[in-house]
Amino acid sequence: MSKRIVVDPITRIEGHLRIDVEIDGGKVTKAWSSGQMWRGIENILIGRDPREAWLFTQRFCGVCTTVHAIASVRAVENAVGVEIPLNAQLIRNLIVSAHAMHDHIVHFFHLSALDWVDVVSALDADPKATAKLAQSLSPWPRNSIQELTAVKDRLAGFVARGQLGPFANGYWGHEAMKLPPEVNLLGVHHYLQALDYQRKANQVVAILGGKTPNIQNLAVGGVANAINLDNQSTINMNTLFNIKNLLDEMTAFVKDVYLTDVCAIGAMYPEWLGYGAGVVNYLAVPDLPTDVAGTQFDLPGGTIMDGDLSTYKAITNFEDKYFADNIVEGISHSWYEGDKELHPYEGETIPQYTEFQDDGKYSWIKSPRFQDRVMQVGPLAQVLVGAVSGHEPTARWLKFATDLAGSVAGIPIKTEMLHSTLGRHLARAVRTAVICEKAQEHWKLLVDNIASGDTDTFNEPVFSGLQMGYGFHEAPRGTLSHFVVIENGKIKNYQAVVPSTWNAGPRDAKNRPGPYEASLVGNPIADPERPLEVLRTIHSFDPCIACAVHALDVEGNELGSVRTL
Amino acid sequence: MNPDNIKTAPIGVFGLGNVLMGDDSLGPTVVAHLLAGYEFSDAVVVEDLGTPGLDLHPHLAGRQKLILVDVVKSEGDPGELKLYGKDEILRHAPGVRVSPHDPGVKEALLALQFAGDDPGEILLVGVIPGKIGHALGMTDALRAAVPAAEAAVLEELARWGHAAVPREPRGEPDLWWEKPGGTDG
Repeated sequence: MSKRIVVDPITRIEGHLRIDVEIDGGKVTKAWSSGQMWRGIENILIGRDPREAWLFTQRFCGVCTTVHAIASVRAVENAVGVEIPLNAQLIRNLIVSAHAMHDHIVHFFHLSALDWVDVVSALDADPKATAKLAQSLSPWPRNSIQELTAVKDRLAGFVARGQLGPFANGYWGHEAMKLPPEVNLLGVHHYLQALDYQRKANQVVAILGGKTPNIQNLAVGGVANAINLDNQSTINMNTLFNIKNLLDEMTAFVKDVYLTDVCAIGAMYPEWLGYGAGVVNYLAVPDLPTDVAGTQFDLPGGTIMDGDLSTYKAITNFEDKYFADNIVEGISHSWYEGDKELHPYEGETIPQYTEFQDDGKYSWIKSPRFQDRVMQVGPLAQVLVGAVSGHEPTARWLKFATDLAGSVAGIPIKTEMLHSTLGRHLARAVRTAVICEKAQEHWKLLVDNIASGDTDTFNEPVFSGLQMGYGFHEAPRGTLSHFVVIENGKIKNYQAVVPSTWNAGPRDAKNRPGPYEASLVGNPIADPERPLEVLRTIHSFDPCIACAVHALDVEGNELGSVRTL
Repeated sequence: MNPDNIKTAPIGVFGLGNVLMGDDSLGPTVVAHLLAGYEFSDAVVVEDLGTPGLDLHPHLAGRQKLILVDVVKSEGDPGELKLYGKDEILRHAPGVRVSPHDPGVKEALLALQFAGDDPGEILLVGVIPGKIGHALGMTDALRAAVPAAEAAVLEELARWGHAAVPREPRGEPDLWWEKPGGTDG
């Protein structure tokens, strides 16, 4: 007999996402993903000065601030046709790179590791054996017996006081938890170190962006940073070397801890290379532009259809029609009036709320489609596109990761196994390693360009008549695009197609499920009261619904998040 | 304030909330008023942090004392002031989920506690919201609550020996999101 489980909501960070699954015979047979937040936020921009749009868009979501700021200035720049000084491109690239490092580290260690790491089991670990294991995996210097013993003692102290602190909401003791105690202890140890290192990435954003969250240094036409190597209050050699030191520290942590841990932990759950594929059409846009016009990029973009790498088609630049002309958003199962599929330039957002209808409307999220296909976006798309397009750093780090995970698992890990829940985690770590390397390169490009005497950071945009454009950014969670229509210097329409819209969207007019929904089908469910497996697959996408409603709930204790019907 | 000081100042005063969401802009609004009206000692950093979720912890780590200003879910009328200490904030553990009504404050504080890096004293200056939804600017009840929330922050800073000094004349708070421009504004 089938059973229904409702997990409401599932994001560990802000946003309100409800997942319903029907299970039969211990497996998910049907799934629904529902965003519980109206997407009319873009309407706030109508009538405003396009030069200030980014200030508002970066408030769409409190977690993904930077990415909405970047996409917005790129959209307006594309509409008016202004080029960006090289320094401005490179400064933006460093900001988005550091933001991505930060985001991915937080996602793995603080938002999803508890799906795999059983914190309580770490109490049974032998710190000596843990240190030995750690040293066999990577040369990271901070895996000493002393440090691991201290972490174990600290954890024991918390548990003895009946507290699990930040781990209280983990599904510890669940039968699907399989790591040996030593790996669990290593996971807890690195959870703590990750707190320090994500802060370093954040510092890079703050140094260049003025502050974080909500950077202050952007402008349509460039950046507001002044460059003068002899001036203390501008970007100078001191600032640049601070950034370099932080990037060096991040690079080591990402390789020796984050990527290593994902490989080692993943290797102990090899069955998850067989679950969670879902939609195997992939979309990624190029990023890290290296010229003023945005025609050359250091990270590749493109599409892959039907999981077949030979179908790869490139998206090459900010003007590429292959990207902009092929997107529509459907609303047949979304709480908006009608069932039209519209291009974002014509996008409408007229709410029509019904109750949750399994076969009707059940989500505030729209269903974007590319050439009439459901697409998955995110690190897996980025890495597959990188590998097939011959992007050397992606291919190299992917090989490093699959070799390491394969040697721990004792099985060869092939590219086709990446279409999976675990594949998304591996790809995210691979992408982070690539980004660390690229950030170092772009730091060097910036220093060299400044040394050549170029200190330009801004070109004035010119507004006149009707101007339309779009900007994209390959954000940590995948392809983000903003579409803007400007009339006589004022915004006439604005639409943001965010990564979680691609992945979390509901069924479409042809009743084809979105990526979250498709990826859940076939997942095993050991315990319907504690549907850990649902969390594993959904968290592998790093959900963040661009939602920002919140009020602190200090007094309440709303734990009724999992319902079994 | 220079970036080094933002990192190391022992006292943090942070407004939380989304300025695009009506009454949720209470925290950022109070911070804008404080920055316009007062000079703070170098030991105090005052910032609007938006709704960063778990990304709060870089801002909280290593502070000795912390004041947060935010709307809170509680029994009472819109605009009513509610003050909470550290124990009250951490009393109820967050659930499997973080609800949309939880911006990650608890989780960030618990993670820092586990790391041994949590602020010693915390005051949450909470205000019960009226209407949270896409809107630029707050309801009248929440506007009326701003001076009381501001006063609660100032009192605590004075109690901690870091009284803020009123600016003469008082500046205009930078509530940029409320400025007219859009069709909503």
